[in-house]
Order: sequence, then C-alpha cells, then structure tokens
Amino acid sequence: MSQFTEKTQPRRRVALSLAATAATALVLITAGCSSSGSTSAGEFGFPEAKQDTSATITVWVDSDRQAVVDAFEAAHPEIKVDAVSYDGSANGSNSFRTKMQLFDRSGSGWPDVVFSTQNNDAAWASQKTNGKQAFAAQLDGGLIEKDTLSNFTEGSLDPCTVDGKVYCLRNDLAQSVMWYDKTLLDQFGYAVPTTWEEYEDLGKKVAAEHPGYIIGTAGDAWTPEVFFWGSKCQANDVTGPREVTVNTTSDECTRAATMLDTLRENGTVPNVSVFTPEFLQQYTGKVLMLQGPAWYAGAIFNNPNSLNVPAGELGVGAPLPWKGEDPVTGNVGGGTWFISSHSANLEAAKAFAEFATTADDYQVEKAPGYPAYAPAAEKWIAKQESSGYFATPLTALTEAGSQIWSGWGAGVFSQEAIWAKTITPAIASGESIEELLPKWQEAIKNQAQVDGYTVK
Amino acid sequence: MTASNLSTRAPRIGVSGWSGRALISAVLLVFVLFFIIPIVWLLLATSKTGRELVTLNPFLPGTFDGIVQNWNQLFAYQDGAVGTWIANSTIYTVGALVLTLIASIPAGYALALTQFRLRKAILVLTLIVMLMPSTALVLPIFLELNTVGLIGNPLSVILPMSFFPFGVYLTYIYFSTSIPQDLLAAARLDGCGEFQVFYRVALPLATPIIALVAFFSFVQNWNNFFLPFVMLPSSDGYPIQVGLTSLLASTPAFNPSSAGAESVQLPTLALATVVSVLPVLIVFLFSQRFLVSGMTAGGTKE
Amino acid sequence: MTAAIATTPELVDATARRRAPAPRTRFGGARPGMSYVFLAPYLALTLAFGVLPALYALVLAFTDGGGGFVGVDNFVKVISDFRFGPAVVHVAIYLVIWLISLVILVTVLAIVVHAIKVRWLNTTLRFVFYLPGALAGASSVLLWLFVLDPTSSPVSGLLQLLGFDSFVQVIVPANLPPIFAIIAFWTGAGGWIVIMYGALNNISSEVMEAARIDGASTFQIATQIQIPLLRKWISYMGVMSLAAGTQLFVEPQLLSQASNAIVPNDYSLNQLAYQYAFQQNDFNGSAAISLLLLVVALALSTVFVTRGGLFDTE
Repeated sequence: MSQFTEKTQPRRRVALSLAATAATALVLITAGCSSSGSTSAGEFGFPEAKQDTSATITVWVDSDRQAVVDAFEAAHPEIKVDAVSYDGSANGSNSFRTKMQLFDRSGSGWPDVVFSTQNNDAAWASQKTNGKQAFAAQLDGGLIEKDTLSNFTEGSLDPCTVDGKVYCLRNDLAQSVMWYDKTLLDQFGYAVPTTWEEYEDLGKKVAAEHPGYIIGTAGDAWTPEVFFWGSKCQANDVTGPREVTVNTTSDECTRAATMLDTLRENGTVPNVSVFTPEFLQQYTGKVLMLQGPAWYAGAIFNNPNSLNVPAGELGVGAPLPWKGEDPVTGNVGGGTWFISSHSANLEAAKAFAEFATTADDYQVEKAPGYPAYAPAAEKWIAKQESSGYFATPLTALTEAGSQIWSGWGAGVFSQEAIWAKTITPAIASGESIEELLPKWQEAIKNQAQVDGYTVK
Repeated sequence: MTASNLSTRAPRIGVSGWSGRALISAVLLVFVLFFIIPIVWLLLATSKTGRELVTLNPFLPGTFDGIVQNWNQLFAYQDGAVGTWIANSTIYTVGALVLTLIASIPAGYALALTQFRLRKAILVLTLIVMLMPSTALVLPIFLELNTVGLIGNPLSVILPMSFFPFGVYLTYIYFSTSIPQDLLAAARLDGCGEFQVFYRVALPLATPIIALVAFFSFVQNWNNFFLPFVMLPSSDGYPIQVGLTSLLASTPAFNPSSAGAESVQLPTLALATVVSVLPVLIVFLFSQRFLVSGMTAGGTKE
Repeated sequence: MTAAIATTPELVDATARRRAPAPRTRFGGARPGMSYVFLAPYLALTLAFGVLPALYALVLAFTDGGGGFVGVDNFVKVISDFRFGPAVVHVAIYLVIWLISLVILVTVLAIVVHAIKVRWLNTTLRFVFYLPGALAGASSVLLWLFVLDPTSSPVSGLLQLLGFDSFVQVIVPANLPPIFAIIAFWTGAGGWIVIMYGALNNISSEVMEAARIDGASTFQIATQIQIPLLRKWISYMGVMSLAAGTQLFVEPQLLSQASNAIVPNDYSLNQLAYQYAFQQNDFNGSAAISLLLLVVALALSTVFVTRGGLFDTE
C-alpha cells in the first residue's frame, strides 16, 4: 500500500495499510486465482479503484466555487487539480446526476470531487443504479475522520445522510434569515418586525407610505424554501428513502400563501428574481428588507455586481415566527461536496473536499456563505463582524443555523424545479399563490411518483 | 399574404401600382429587419460591457476595448476551455466530413451509374433514412454505442455524423444527370477496371458535388447539439455548441447560483455565440455564390 | 437545422429534371460485384446508424430492464405518464403554428422576392433571409435568449408594448409555442425561401409571359400558375418540417436551463425521452418514446415517398 505516502498521519496510515492489506488478502482468497481486477473491496465501505497518489484530480465546481480551486492550489501546490465548471446542478437541471449516469454507462470519466448547489444529490448518489456502483464515496466509513465530521454544525449533514451513512460534506449552511437595510428602516421610522404578522403589516405600511420600496421577493425558485419551509408547510416531508408526505393545503401553507399574495399585490414583495438585471434596475437602493439565505449577504448585498449596499447599512434579523409559535426557518441550498467512489486518488480527493469545507483559507477568508463546519463558522462570523460591513451583530445567523425546521426533507426531486415549472409562470400570468396550492401539491406528487416515491 | 391581396387591386400589369409596391416594400422591410436585427445586435453586443448592454442604446456600438475584454474573458474561461471546444468541433466535423465523402461519393456513383440487383431497394432505403430526422435515432444510437463501450469516445459522434444519406442522394442525382454512361462505357472498353473508371473518369468530374456534400455535412455537424450532448459526458470532449451550455450555466442572468467572480457576463456570452458560428458563417459567405446563385443558375431564365 | 439540409434536393432536382437520367440499357459493361464494393462503407454506416438503432429501439421498447418481453407495458407507462400528454400538446401546438406560418410566409416571400427584377436587391434579399441559417442549434437559441429578455433585448420597446416587462412574463407557457416557432422560422425559413425561389425559376418564362399578355395580374399569376407549380415543394417543405419539428429538443432544453426551469425540462417529447433515459434510468421507457417518434417520422416519409413523386427513383 505504498500509495499512502503522505507523512502527516503515520498512525492512520499504518492502520489503513493493515486494513487494506487484509481486505486485499480477503479478496484474493475469495476470488481464488484471479488477481487482475482493478478494484478491491476497499477499506472505507465501497469498492475502490486502483490508487495513484500522483494522479491529477478532476474537480467539478460551479463558477462561484472556482475560488476554492484557486485557494487549494495555493495551499497544496503538490496536488494537481483539473477544475471543470458546470452549472452546479442548480434549479433542477440535474446535470450532476445525468452526467454521472452517463459516466456509469461509459465506465470511466467520473470527476473525483463534485460540488453541487443542491441538497438532494445524496439521495441518488448513495444508491447503486442498474447494478452500477454508487457514485458517492461513503465518508464516515473511515475516509473522513470522525472528529472532522462531528465538527459540522448539528443537522448540517442531514441532507448528506442516507440510511445513517454520510455521503457528502456540507459547504455552507443556507439558513434563511431576515436581511434589512438598517439605515433605511431607521430613516423611515420602522421597527424590525418580530412575527410574520408584523411583517405583513409592515408591508402594507410601506406600500402606502413609501411605494417602490420592497421587503422581500417572491420571484425565485426558492420562494417555497424561504416562506413555506419557514412556515412549517408540509410540502416536502420525506419520511423514508422512497416515501414522502405532501399536504400543501394546510393552514401552515395557506397562511404563507395569503401573506405573499397580499404583499405581491401591493408591490412590496415583487415577483422578481433577485439575480435579474431587472431587479437591479428597479430596486437598487430600495430594498428595505429581504427574506433570504445566509449567502445573500455576499451574493447580493455586498457584491459590486449586484445591490452593492455600502458598509454599515445591512442588518440581520432572526427568523420570524408566526404569532404564538417558536421561530423556525427554511434553508436555500447550501452546497455539498461529494467524493467519487471511483476516484483513483482518494487521498487527494479527500484533501480537496476537506479543504473546501473546513480550511480557513477558503471558508473563513473567501466563502460568501455561512460555513457548515462549526469552527470555521465561528471564525467566519468574527471576521464578518470585524469587517465593519454589517450594521448589527450576526448572532441571528448563528441562531438561525440551529432553527432549520426538520419537517422538510431532501428527496431526489427538486422542489425548486417544481415550483419554477408550475407556480412561477402561473404567478407571472396573474394567478394567486393561494389558488395555486392544490396545483402545487399535485405537481409535487406527480414528480415524486415519477421518481419512484410513495406519496402520502 | 397581405401583399398578394392588395396587389389584386393593382393595375393588371402587375406590382406596378403605387400602393401595391409600397405594401410589398413594407412587408419586405419588416422581414429584412426580422432576419437581420438579431444578428446586427449580436455583433454590436460583443463590444459592450455588461452594464452597457443594459444601459446603452441597443444599436450603438460599445468600444473596441470592450471586444478585447470580452475576448479575453471568453478565452480565459476555464483555462481556455473555449479553445478546446472549438478544436473538438473541428475534429468531429472534419472527421465526419472525410468519412461522409468516403462513404457517400462512391455510393452515389454506384447507385447512379452501375447496375446491380439491390439497387432499387437501396435507393428506397436511402430515401427513408434520409427523411427520418436524425434526432429520432440519437437515443437508440446511444444505447447501441453504449453496448460496444464507445460512449465518451470521439468516435461516438464522428461515426453517427458520417452517416449522411442525403449526401448519397445528392451524389446519386448528380452522377445520374451529369455524367453520360457512354463515357464510362468507353473507359471500360479501353480496359479500365471498375475502380479505375470511378477514380480516373467519374471522380474528376465530381468536384461540384463533393463541395456541396461537404458543405452540408459541415454545416449540419458543426451545429449538431443533441448527439454530442448525449454521447460526450465530459466537458473536455464537448464541441463548441455543447460548450455554449456551460457558458450559459456560468452566466448569472440565466443561472442565479453562478453569481460570482468567475461568472460570465452577457456580452461575453454574446461573443461566444458569434465565435461558435464563425466557421459556419465564413463557409456561408464564401459558398453563397455557388449555393444561392450557382445551384439555381440552371433554372435562371432571366 | 433541417432547412439548410433541405436546400438542395430542389436545387439539384432542378438540374435533374432538365436532363432525364440515363436509360437503364446503358449500364452495359459494368460488373455488379464492384458496385457493392463502392457501396460497402455507406451500407455499413446505414446498417450501424440507421437500421440497427431502429431495431434496437424496437427491442428495448417491448422489453423490461432485465430483457424480458413485456408487451406494450412500456408504451402504457410512458403514455400514462403525467408529463406525456402535455408534451404532446406542446409539440402539436408548436407544429401547427410553425407549419402554417412557414408555408404561408415562405411562399409569399419567395414569390415577392422572385418578382423583384432589380438583380442586386434580389440577391441581397435572398442572402439576408438565408444568413440566420448559419446560426442554427444552440447558437440561435442563445441569441434569442437575449432578444426575448426585455432588459437586454434590441426590441425591448416592442416587448414592453406587448405587455412583457420581464423575461419570466415573456416565457409563460402560452407563449412558448410561438417563441419556438419564431426561432425555427428565423433560422430555417431562409433556406426554404431559396428553394422556392429556385423552383419559381424553373417555371418557364414563356408560360409567365403568355399569362401576362393574356392580362393576368401578378396576383393571378401567383395563385393560378406559380403556387400550383410550387405545390410539390410546399408539401415537401411541410413534411420535412413536420418530421423535424416533432423532434424538438435543443430550444426547450436551453430555454429550460436559462429560465431556471420555468420552462420545464420535460417540455417536448424528446426531452421526456431524455429524462427517462438519464434521470430515471429507464431506457425501455425512453426507447418507447423514441419509437413512437420514429413511427411518426417513418409514416410521414412513407406517405411522402409513395405519394410525393419528388423522389421517383427512376
């Protein structure tokens, strides 16, 4: 097992070598005479490809995560990385899954490490398809140290966990919070709302007193995750590996829908995606509040290509509860890193995935979102606060990280794609979200069934 | 149709009436604008910055510096992936072109100028597969090549692209109308073998049809999207048409989650579009004469 | 896409009709064996990429993942899929809009351009119409993404006039068939206009002159002489476009990607087949859809080969 040449973890190396030798021996015994196979049973819980520690690793990232590659190359010049950027499987494109199935068919070509913007990839990547080895390497079978795994914020690895085994590392938490422009709120004399009811009232006031200003948007595909997840709407209650319960006509769903309809109508929560030029044209300087994930801070507010809000104005408020309830919140993505079980250089792949999720060089220095790795998150918060950019402390972010409602699961199908396909165009042509709730339920059910789910 | 309707009111000699002429001119103008505006705008867009694209008058050019910047951004994308994609496109297209010619010119010749039992059957088969849209067969071909383990291999696009029954049909028509049988018979009497007849007599006369088949094969294969999209999962192997989707995915306006420092701005995407069709455009411009005029010349009786 | 391809049968055929193919008796002297040698590469390709895939799809469509025969189960499954009906409707509406506008506009434009006697204008017009054909496939879709987005569009005024202020409003489901038809028309019409123009040139000028002397108006010449003589080409265009149109893929696929899935990735039948193959890993279902599409294409081409007369092989 000479491939484990790295000197940093001698003890583990020996243990691994022993385990691997044992595994190899076992294979040799069971296989009888043939020793020409290129895979072994593997010591980490999956069959391994023949390892070559000098092999270049191929890493698939979305264009945002290119910074990870740059940081990694600076920190580890000895590992050769071939970075390929793809769409991050965003918005239901499912390109990650599609391409891996194609590689399964061609029998080669898998990237070593993949970043996905989605939370629903472990659901398929952990499973064999048509008898082909599952793409994702199991991570908690020894590949990634227990200590590292346990340092991730509690619950943050849930979307990566299938049948109790961990198949990916979470890049960032995307807990939804309430971003607001403190300067504007103060200027208008408004208090930060503390419940959704107050939020709605504020919307009505803004519409009357300061038309043109907005307190949120409902034009993105993650509207259900921001507003419906945070309202405990049972739209995506994944109860088993192939079981989901969907009920979008409950009070929890209806209240969010009617609130959005009211605010959409009076113009304070427009049906515009925050990433469109249109949004920038119309609302730069007019965003009073914006309900959205942690990564909005870097991607929208503090981004010269986007709203470009100056330092000292942006505040962050805790997730809102409905009156009389405890606050819960939703989650919008929060990327995940997968290591390929086919990798010929698991050591380098592991180094990369660990670096991407835990190293200060990226997660603290460069990452736009709230790190899922708790030690990095602490430092990230400290650094963000000391930067003087924010007008308020960031405690709300940390708080929200532990308030993500667990009744919204991570199935194979993309809730965002379903929303984009059925609801967004319907809203654009004038229908109300409340009326659309049954249609939404039907669409989720249909899609889940096509993907082999039993829907209740 | 309005044009024709109105021209009924025109004097009997034809479209000489003032109103008829005006109307026809208006209709033509509308269509000229429809066909040309997007292209003109696209060319102008490549010289702008992302902000200028939104703020500037759509029909004002940006700056030369803008082109340079967009060019640099485009070719810096993924360490020069665009260059790789263009090279791939070239390999696939030229490879398929060569094979297409090797397969279809002799086949068309044999169908037109030689006699054998299955001739009629093969002609009918050719017509049927010719009318079958190539996309209909992409998934079955994928399954087939999958069983022989060619997925991801350049051959998985070159070989299916070389299957070009239309080329055979064109060659067949050409040979059966342009080369007199007597010529071949004379050559045979002179003791030429069948292959020599083809190589020495038929082939030198076939230059126009070779050019035509090459043109169609090139344009069709350069623009092919579905086949390489399915056959080539790895970004290293993309032709430029599929590569464009990668660029599209890195453009924040079309993929929100890509908003970052490395993202592609709209004008760069516009430049990519232009670059992606440049070879075809050049071929179009140069072959315009023989395509539009040349090939219809036979029927021109003005 | 197909239009560029379609340009020539007409053009070549124009030549073909003037010089009838050599009579069969002149084949004397050729040795049949060599014919098969000449044909071998082409036949191999035809077998590999025409006949075999079709047969393979046939087998897959009637079997399950394990290879067992399942009758029409796969067809029942895909047809009862909740996405199948909408996909058929989408493609059908698109085809209706596209074919009608294609047939009418191409015919009218070809006749109008043909009536122009100013040579440079005539040539330029044909070239302008033909030029977008260079931008086929993904490139043209990308270009149209810009044109359809009110924030960047060169015709944003027009879009706003029609009540579209945002990209999302432009691409609501009801607008998609006309949008795809416009894109297809933009790239494909020019090729057909050139074809029709060539066909019009083939109408002997004596006939036209005689009609004029008899006092026929331009409109009468168009409807009573030109259009009837063009009918064969018009039906050829119709069938080719219909067959190609059922295969709609790249336009909705890219639009889906660019609209963050507001245009669904199962909009057309070919996309659905793709979804079956690569999302659900159900190649049998995928083959069933491909086969349905293939049958449509084959039926159309058969009708055309037997009834059209254009491809008389002798």
